[in-house]
Amino acid sequence: MTERPGCVLVADDDMVNRLLLARGLERDGHRVRAVANGLEALEALRDGLFDCVLLDVLMPGMDGYQVLECIRSQPKFRHIPVIMISALEDIESVVRCIEMGAEDYLPKPFDPVLLRARINAGLARKRLHDLEQEYLEQVGRVVAAAADVEAGRFESRELDSVAGRDDALGQLARVFQRMAIEVLARERLLKQEVRQLRIEIDEARAARQVAEITQTEYFQDLQAKAATLRLGPDAQE
Amino acid sequence: MSRIISVHSFRGGTGKSNTAASVAALLAAEGQRVGVVDTDIQSPGIHTLFGWSQKAVRFSLNQYLWGICDITQTAHDVTASLDAGVPGRVYLVPSSIKANDIARVMREGYDVGLLNEGFRQLVKELSLDVLMLDTHPGLNEETLLSIAMSNTLAIVLRPDHQDYEGTSVTLSVARKLNVPDLVLVVNKTPPVFDPEEVRERVEKAYECEVAAVLPHSDELMALSSAGIFALRYPAHPLTGLLRKLTARLTA
Repeated sequence: MTERPGCVLVADDDMVNRLLLARGLERDGHRVRAVANGLEALEALRDGLFDCVLLDVLMPGMDGYQVLECIRSQPKFRHIPVIMISALEDIESVVRCIEMGAEDYLPKPFDPVLLRARINAGLARKRLHDLEQEYLEQVGRVVAAAADVEAGRFESRELDSVAGRDDALGQLARVFQRMAIEVLARERLLKQEVRQLRIEIDEARAARQVAEITQTEYFQDLQAKAATLRLGPDAQE
Repeated sequence: MSRIISVHSFRGGTGKSNTAASVAALLAAEGQRVGVVDTDIQSPGIHTLFGWSQKAVRFSLNQYLWGICDITQTAHDVTASLDAGVPGRVYLVPSSIKANDIARVMREGYDVGLLNEGFRQLVKELSLDVLMLDTHPGLNEETLLSIAMSNTLAIVLRPDHQDYEGTSVTLSVARKLNVPDLVLVVNKTPPVFDPEEVRERVEKAYECEVAAVLPHSDELMALSSAGIFALRYPAHPLTGLLRKLTARLTA
């Protein structure tokens, strides 16, 4: 059993090869879908999620080159490692396949140890790619959360999935989320306060202060001539 | 006809001088001739906003009040310190920032009546459209005179319990002096407050028109009185509100 099993698509028109490959892979714990030609291989790819493809070069109808071209031209499949199955003496076709984007090749007849090594290397590449994709996607979530904070639509659990990571990105998400939640809480509190914005004036004390000012001689004199003061220089002359 | 506008607040730190300076600058930008008098003799400050240094100054409001000079000698044309191409004029009458001068005012006082005479002379000789008085917080004699002379009085307050009672006292006093046009300006409003709600509540509490609800602005704080906000940030939403306030104060 391999430590990290994956889901492998096997395309080979030779039934014996197909069975041998499937059995060998299944023994290592992988899930296997085996098909007999290129068209079936593409159909299977469209239906399921595969971590690696084992592809025979020579098949009737759509051959391995065409399937490989198709896989490499579609963004959805481009990142799936493809290992070509080819006779050991046919080195030219192997070179051509690698130039077209195949990851590796497996010579016929199969050596189980070599099969395991190549499949595990392919799966490791795929996992690395998936991790990278996931990382980028989660970085994107933190960036989107920052935009949400700016726009005032940040939700307090928005970054939970990223905050669960045990790496630096997880720490960034945790700190960011905590700070954004604190800001939200402060704003909510302020909003509550404005709802309670009460203008309370001690009328008696204010009246006393007004009386202190208005009962002075200075004020009463000012009051008497205020209207004249406001008339402007011409009127006063 | 020229008019006198006083910008006052019962407590300090309400943003009174910043508001007054922005209104003065916006009026000058409309082509008006504006005088700005710092009647805050005990703690002068509005000159800073006009980027104006007192080093080269011989005469300030203090010298006029002590009979040393004529009021027009204390008026300094600060238009050049505003944006280039301001079609109007701003004349600043500063109060002295010299410690001796301030101490002398506190110790000896002065003939408050001279202020009235001086203001009138300024309006006439400089052909001012608007004379703006930046007052000392509280309600001392020169502030009361400034209020009494004003055609329009804008009382600045923050949505803060510290400001409510004093604003009420100032309003009562201004009403007793029959100031023809009385408005409140709510300043430094936290951005989370709904301005319309604040306006409604303040108008109801004081039974007085609220001419503007101005938000707290980080940009204004960052400018730290090193310029006039409305000119430095012409496209800022706060400047839009200051323009409306200016239109209301001179309506």
